[in-house]
Amino acid sequence: MATLALREVTRSFLRRTGSRGKQSFAALGPIDVRVPDGQFVALIGPSGCGKSTVLHLLAGLDEPTTGEVQINNLPPSELQAQHALGIAFQEHALLPWRTVEGNLRLPFEVAGLSSTKERIRELIALVGLNGFEHARPAELSGGMRQRVAIARALALKPKLLLLDEPFGALDAVTRRRMNFELERIWLESRPTTVMVTHSVEEAVLLADRILVLTERPGRVRIDTMVDFARPRPAALMRTPEFHRLADELTASLEPA
Amino acid sequence: MKPRSFFYPLLGCLLLLGAWELLGRSGALGKTLPALSQVLSVFLDAPRRALLLRSAAATLGSAAIGYAAGACAGAAVAVLAHLVPILRGGLDRMAVLVNALPVIALGPILIITAGREDTPAALASVPVFFLLYISTGLGLRATSHRLDLMFTTLGAGRWQRLMKLESVAALPSILSGMKIAAGSAMIGAIVGEWFGAPTGLGIVVLNSMENFQIPLLWATVIVIAAITLASYGLLTLAERAARRRIG
Repeated sequence: MATLALREVTRSFLRRTGSRGKQSFAALGPIDVRVPDGQFVALIGPSGCGKSTVLHLLAGLDEPTTGEVQINNLPPSELQAQHALGIAFQEHALLPWRTVEGNLRLPFEVAGLSSTKERIRELIALVGLNGFEHARPAELSGGMRQRVAIARALALKPKLLLLDEPFGALDAVTRRRMNFELERIWLESRPTTVMVTHSVEEAVLLADRILVLTERPGRVRIDTMVDFARPRPAALMRTPEFHRLADELTASLEPA
Repeated sequence: MKPRSFFYPLLGCLLLLGAWELLGRSGALGKTLPALSQVLSVFLDAPRRALLLRSAAATLGSAAIGYAAGACAGAAVAVLAHLVPILRGGLDRMAVLVNALPVIALGPILIITAGREDTPAALASVPVFFLLYISTGLGLRATSHRLDLMFTTLGAGRWQRLMKLESVAALPSILSGMKIAAGSAMIGAIVGEWFGAPTGLGIVVLNSMENFQIPLLWATVIVIAAITLASYGLLTLAERAARRRIG
């Protein structure tokens, strides 16, 4: 299980200025956030505020310029080495030459574990892709590819699940359906989850807690809990409480 | 394939071959351009056909050995450069140097080191080495950034990344290099034979030229072209299949 700590984290990048010289500009922070085990956190904020940077820092794909990122009091690279990190990007990042089954076997192969037929079948059933076991990514629709990506992220029962705009490339109807499916799938194991999204509704529908970041350099502007009972029905989206929270968050995204 | 997409290329070929036949028969370009029918009749003559077959087998053998050795070495060195980045700059320069050496200039050196029999294969391997070094290196570096990040988050080691991601993603580029290298191997083998190999198509070319056996010379060139085109065609099919699958 995983608890996350971002302690006074900043990230700056070097930018070329003219022909000579480089200038450092701040992309993120300082940010100070703790996430308890099993919490589903949604990160929203204006474009370029550093949401994806936070995810990359947690995934160990990037290092903070100052401050510290820890997962269970260890650096994120430890979690990679334990094969305990599940991640799904906006673009699916599946191996195009492998079938659905083959792609789902990959995390087991990399971790040096044997994948049982039952576990693969279980994962395929979990994301509702029965009958597509032997299809290649090119033969699947965008929504189906994202399901495979999510199933792969969950394959090794990760301690931490990171979702970077997982439904950003989908049409509105598919996206809504995938939202409800994600909650169902998530409830089966409840890993600590951080999801970056552009959609306020998606955040309110799925998250236990929403962090709104400011414009660059991104800082936490709002940190709010979402207390709706789970599983959350589609009818929730028509209630005044849902709309009040969504409107409030949307307003907070407008430039000050 | 639609019949039409056959028709025009076929018509074009027949027109060209017909023009060759007429031009050869008219003798307008002298004795060095025999009619097509005269060239083809070489293949009907049993002793000369046997000579061509025997020579083709020898040349094909040298080219194949040089091709296999050069391709394996080129790909292996490219993998080494990929795994040990500090070596890459030096190996890149070495490969360029190998490519800059004129094959012709290497011939005499190989004759005194490798011997007459092995020079054709050795010369065939040189350009193949270079082409496979370049195409394998490009292919290994062409992995998509997304998949690369994915493997990092899965906790994949260097070797797993190479075996499960990079080497598969590199296949189309490698096959593309192998396709171009097939012709280079034939050229290397034939040039290698000119330095005094006992048999081979290169020897038949030289002998028929010196003895003014013009139809035999042309027939030999046709055999060489057919081998090169066939290997190029087969590897094109393999490359296409790989691109379809690996995308």
